[in-house]
Amino acid sequence: MIEVKDITKKFGRKEVLKGVSFTANKGEITCLIGINGVGKTTILNAIMALTPIHSGQILINGETIKKESFEKITFIPDAITMLPNMRISDAMEFMDDFYNSWNQKRATELLGFFKLKESDRISDLSKGNTAKVNLLLGLAMDVDYILMDEPFSGIDIFSREQIADVFTSHLIEDRGVIITTHEISDIEHLIDKVVLLDNGQVLKEFNAEAVREDEGKSVVDVMREVFKA
Amino acid sequence: MKRYLKLVNFEFNRIAKVYFVLLAIVLVSQFAGVIVESKSYLKEANHMIYEELMPKAEFFLQYGPMSLERVFASIWFFGPIALCIGVVAFYIFLIWYRDWFGKNTFIYRLLMLPTARLNVFLAKLTTILLMTLGFVAFQLILFPIESTILKWMVPKDFRMDMGTLEVIGSFRELQMIIPTSFIEFILYYGAGFAVVTLLFTAIMFERCYRIKGILLGIGYGFLAVVLFFTPILIQEFLQNHYLYPSELLLLEIVMGLIVTCCSIWTSSYLLKKKIRV
Repeated sequence: MIEVKDITKKFGRKEVLKGVSFTANKGEITCLIGINGVGKTTILNAIMALTPIHSGQILINGETIKKESFEKITFIPDAITMLPNMRISDAMEFMDDFYNSWNQKRATELLGFFKLKESDRISDLSKGNTAKVNLLLGLAMDVDYILMDEPFSGIDIFSREQIADVFTSHLIEDRGVIITTHEISDIEHLIDKVVLLDNGQVLKEFNAEAVREDEGKSVVDVMREVFKA
Repeated sequence: MKRYLKLVNFEFNRIAKVYFVLLAIVLVSQFAGVIVESKSYLKEANHMIYEELMPKAEFFLQYGPMSLERVFASIWFFGPIALCIGVVAFYIFLIWYRDWFGKNTFIYRLLMLPTARLNVFLAKLTTILLMTLGFVAFQLILFPIESTILKWMVPKDFRMDMGTLEVIGSFRELQMIIPTSFIEFILYYGAGFAVVTLLFTAIMFERCYRIKGILLGIGYGFLAVVLFFTPILIQEFLQNHYLYPSELLLLEIVMGLIVTCCSIWTSSYLLKKKIRV
């Protein structure tokens, strides 16, 4: 389980996270939702120790993050984390070189799934295909948790559908996913838990399925209610 | 250790193309220098001896014999060396900043590797060291070849053959780059290593605290320099030359090691606890 406990974060004098707390379980898709600048990416960066927090605690399976944790958790930011002059095969080789959790078989499967060519250079790829390579590099790892920052940002509808298909495939199964997105409609039916954020705070945390079944509301309906209030 | 070596290999490969182009520039420029300077000397000799009818002895007295010294004093020789020094100096900053800026944020990947973040720091430091020592080694290989070219170009009567050490010894600037004793080598390159570590730490401060970090980096650099020169300052102003030069040197080496270790420890702490992507 990923536990985010009462974290605060300031950029200069501006407090961007004001005591954010939530949990994300293995086998669940947790979605962080909020308007731009609300601190969604900062939370993901903080979980991966890519930005310091001022107070609070983040635990992954009961422990603070350490170098070994990066074999258990992976982060897929909204920009690709490989060098532009690399071919896809070079990027895969890099991952294979450094991560014990890299699963080459799954990587090859994902290449086929996304219809990508190993010989393609990253700098030559379209935005959609770059996003797919980024996703491939994260999903091909045998990790417990995957963090995704805006995986649908700025890409065409066909690529979005293809990426959304990943969530219903065995590629995600049994893993814990924390995702931030504006394009909630693409994956609304797949989300287990929603954390609504506003002004650096958690406004509401709820089980998406329970809301759907018990109250007959969609995630977007709840969002509207909360933000209007 | 395995991941550190892989990182060194990866980092070096990123600059390899530029590096080999620089080596080629050094080679071509210095060889061209030997040829051009030799031809110019011979032309001058022919003109003075055969056209102006100056006696050979007087020519030697006035112009001296042709030697590598003349080549090394030219832009052909020091130009590419200055270029290499400039590139390494620039690369000390670029090696970090290119991972943060641009379309692809490679720093995310480096910081998410399942290895101590200090390894990323040390791999970049090692790359700078390898580049520098590589240039020095290449220069040492070029010396005898340049000497041979000179021998082919200039008749024995007109030249003075010099050994590599002899040539290096006649240029103070060259002695800084290629020290003639092992102790000097350790001192010069140890000091260089300490300076690069210090600069890397200042970059880490800037990357962690941005504008405030620039001031912190400058402050850290100032403190480190003061700490390094403490024995000399005490010797000069307080103890009135109490220590022997060898004792002072030893103290300076110890201070250099302390400053380097402090820089590495500080950078490791910053990378682990304070770094921002």
